[in-house]
Amino acid sequence: MMKNTELETSDKQTWLSEKRKLSLERFNEQPLPRRGLNLWRYTDPNKFIAVPNTAGVEAKTGRQPPGAENEKKNLANGHLAALAVDFACREIGVEMGSEARSKGVVVSSLSAAVLSHPEIVEKYLYSLINDQFGKFEAMNGAMWNDGIFVYVPKNITIEKPIHLVRESAEAGASQFPRLLIVIGENAEATIIDEYRGGSLDSDKAPTQSNGAVEIIGLANSRTRYVSLQRQGSGVNAYLTHRARIEKSATMLTIPLAFGGSTTKQNFGVILDGQGADSKMAGLLFGTDYQHFDNHTLHHHSAGQTTSNINFKVVLKDKAHSAYTGLIRIDKTAKTCAAYQENRNLLLNPGTKAETVPELEILNEDVSCTHGATVGPIDPLQLFYLSCRGIAHKDAVRMIVSGYVASTFGLLPEDLREQISAYVTARLEEI
Amino acid sequence: MSTFVRIASTEDIPQGKLKAFEVNHVLIVVAHTVDGFYAVADECTHDSEPIHTGRIRGNEIMCSRHGARFDLKTGAVTAPPAVVPIDTYELKIEGEEIFVRV
Amino acid sequence: MSNAGVVEQQKRDLSTIGADYTAKYGFHDPVDYFHKGVRGVNHEVVEMISRMKKEPKWMNEIRHEAFEIFLQKPMPTWGDSALLNEIKFDNIYYFMKPIENTQKSWDDVPEYIRKTFDKLGIPEAEKNFLGGVSAQYESEVVYHSLREDLVKLGVVFLDMDTGLREYPEIVRQYFGTVIPASDNKFAALNTAVWSGGSFIYVPQGVNVTAPLQAYFRINAENMGQFERTLIIADKGARVHYIEGCTAPVYSTESLHSAVVEMVAMDESYIRYTTIQNWSRNIYNLVTKRANAYKNSTVEWVDGNLGSRLTMKFPCIQLLGEGAKGEILSVAFAGVDQHQDAGAKVIHVAPNTSSRITSKSISKDNGRASYRGLVKVHKGATNSKVSVECDALLIGRDARSDTYPTMEIDNDQVKIEHEARVSKVAEEQLFYLTSRGLTEDGARLLIVNGFMEPFTKELPLEYAVELNRLIELEMEGSIG
Repeated sequence: MMKNTELETSDKQTWLSEKRKLSLERFNEQPLPRRGLNLWRYTDPNKFIAVPNTAGVEAKTGRQPPGAENEKKNLANGHLAALAVDFACREIGVEMGSEARSKGVVVSSLSAAVLSHPEIVEKYLYSLINDQFGKFEAMNGAMWNDGIFVYVPKNITIEKPIHLVRESAEAGASQFPRLLIVIGENAEATIIDEYRGGSLDSDKAPTQSNGAVEIIGLANSRTRYVSLQRQGSGVNAYLTHRARIEKSATMLTIPLAFGGSTTKQNFGVILDGQGADSKMAGLLFGTDYQHFDNHTLHHHSAGQTTSNINFKVVLKDKAHSAYTGLIRIDKTAKTCAAYQENRNLLLNPGTKAETVPELEILNEDVSCTHGATVGPIDPLQLFYLSCRGIAHKDAVRMIVSGYVASTFGLLPEDLREQISAYVTARLEEI
Repeated sequence: MSTFVRIASTEDIPQGKLKAFEVNHVLIVVAHTVDGFYAVADECTHDSEPIHTGRIRGNEIMCSRHGARFDLKTGAVTAPPAVVPIDTYELKIEGEEIFVRV
Repeated sequence: MSNAGVVEQQKRDLSTIGADYTAKYGFHDPVDYFHKGVRGVNHEVVEMISRMKKEPKWMNEIRHEAFEIFLQKPMPTWGDSALLNEIKFDNIYYFMKPIENTQKSWDDVPEYIRKTFDKLGIPEAEKNFLGGVSAQYESEVVYHSLREDLVKLGVVFLDMDTGLREYPEIVRQYFGTVIPASDNKFAALNTAVWSGGSFIYVPQGVNVTAPLQAYFRINAENMGQFERTLIIADKGARVHYIEGCTAPVYSTESLHSAVVEMVAMDESYIRYTTIQNWSRNIYNLVTKRANAYKNSTVEWVDGNLGSRLTMKFPCIQLLGEGAKGEILSVAFAGVDQHQDAGAKVIHVAPNTSSRITSKSISKDNGRASYRGLVKVHKGATNSKVSVECDALLIGRDARSDTYPTMEIDNDQVKIEHEARVSKVAEEQLFYLTSRGLTEDGARLLIVNGFMEPFTKELPLEYAVELNRLIELEMEGSIG
């Protein structure tokens, strides 16, 4: 039970306080989800019960947030359009490249945005993730201290990515990152939302991270959103993402997950206007005792929309992945086409994968397929490579690299190199 | 070979009761029957229910969801709908302390 | 006369036998209930059923224990809760002697059923039986000659009541070992009030070449609501069992909850084919499961056509090395129907393989759901699983859902799953109509092609009847 007094807020807007209050009420009245039902079948909800928030204490003592040196360099070199560094959801520093600034792109803390862009924020914040969602989303709705706001105005195209670095506080703390992205009509942008830092010891003092991301893509907009989870090995990460795209808008969502101890993420796109198209290309790489639980949703509420999900999982050591993917096509959403594929590559005994690709189709005028596979590397492929004199370990690395290559191809260039290097390093450990 | 880890004292688990623990990333449940203490995995092999929510019947542990039963000593299935035995773990008592090897 | 009217008439008729129908439902000697139709179920009704059958004590105890479990278990929260919660357990007759059943007259059989019989060309005697108007299907001659052959082979093929009476040790050894009463609420109910069903035992090495058809052996009492079937194929035995029929079967009692348990010993083969077309007032909730041992093969061929709500998920547990399982299921959901079908395979032993093929058709406002589970346990190395579920939607209000779950705990396996949902393609229709077929005819051809993997597995007369029935459904002349 959380009391109002624990809610630290300097909200100057009553509408915001109201929303927080609603979320708090909802959090208090909702019981912890029962283990075994629906989306909580594979993960213990107790992992995400927040410890008392000590992140604030850190920030107030003026400790410098860990540097985002590489990213700052990228910005300086013109490889990024803008950079925001958020430490424990308390200190948000923003640096804008000249192009982004001149074109009127806004990247700021949510608290600043509430004052500078009140109509937009009030209209869209809590519109997709709110107290109606579930206990943990209500927790975020009440507790987020400061978040990030990104706004790309109508007709503006920004080629270089906007990089958001969300650094968790150290061991034993909890934070509630919140993000609101609004892409104006006919605008185009790429956002990299990176979560890192946090505890390295899940036994002694795990860090809890409970994040919410809302993205609105207005008519004809084109958005690419990369969610990069690289948190420390002692972090329990919970993330709910919802995007809504309007008429003829497109969205490419790339959830990448490598870090954390227990991670539960929920990515959803609502196709809310004719001609909208959404693609999701997910990749997760689990090692040691990591546990990943991912849910994806493509909800077609408007007709003549198309969607495609390709979710790849690679597991080694004793890692465990559960994936549930739902495609829902409403009764009135005619002439839609939706595809979904989940492939799970298990590199050694001791790994465990679950996959539940679900469909709810409420009208006949659809074309919908989904597929899922689970298995080790095809022994034939390995044999073929060994015949060419390639050692087993190298062969495995080559095949896994090939497996993830198409997903990487969708990433912005710098990030692609960085992630590639990261995955290669992990494969070295095979 | 992993080592024995102290998880509780004997008075923490009264006779007839079950208690769940996490040892080296493995979820286990310790049962205190008339015959003594036993440690098995905290997951029913039928449908993954955390079996610490069940109860003890003689020398068996019974899952509360569909009534599957397992022998606490050997892990063997004694009643359907489970068909796969449950993992058992070595348990020893030293004085008043319970140690489990996972 | 309405159904309520018939029941009232029955009560009046029966009351002259001497029992006082309005006696309170306190604990009386259940013999009193013998002549009455009693609605609802409690320990007394369970006791009555057991006593009437003169069952051994152990079966009597199993029934009562199961009834306790039924009372404690909640209704499932997944599935079509709206329809499930319409079931009024207190309002159902759980046991009726045939004499009560046959008081019905032809007028009580709903119009759409009678029309279907006519269109399918069902002979008079069959019509009476299927309509519940006569208690016995006049096929004694056919049945007897079949029986003699089987007896020579040592094959036991009886109704479950007789099976329990004549082979109690075998029944006791296997009853409830595949599906315990605690499995789910309806399995518990069935275990408490079961009556009828089939008991089949095939001795070692015996190959039963002609399919065993329930149709010829049963009477109305056994074509009941709570059938319990037990099929055991001993080492190396082979048997094919067929039950049900494509013609609609009418029953006033709206809850049907059967349990089928099968045990396939090493090297044996069992195929169980069923086509059910219950009338549109029926809730058909079935639990069926098979244990497959070393190198054995089990096949479920399942056709679901009628009923208001069917929930049926045939399951195969591959317990012995090299065991194979196949589930082929077809569901047709028409007006106001919900076919909630699916398949479950559990791989426990290594080198096992399974294939699931599910085809569903939703028409008008029908709803077809596929609910599946593929579970591969740690020890099931080198398992291969392939799942294919396809759904065809016809009509603007049709609905299709797919909820397949795969839980894989072994890395040396090959698991594949594929699903497709679509409507009848415009191009296909155009192609066919441009060759002179009417649009209805074209649609029918496409639907038949869609169902072909299923119909080709049926014995000829079933396949022919099924085709005719689908034709009627497509014409929209039923329901």
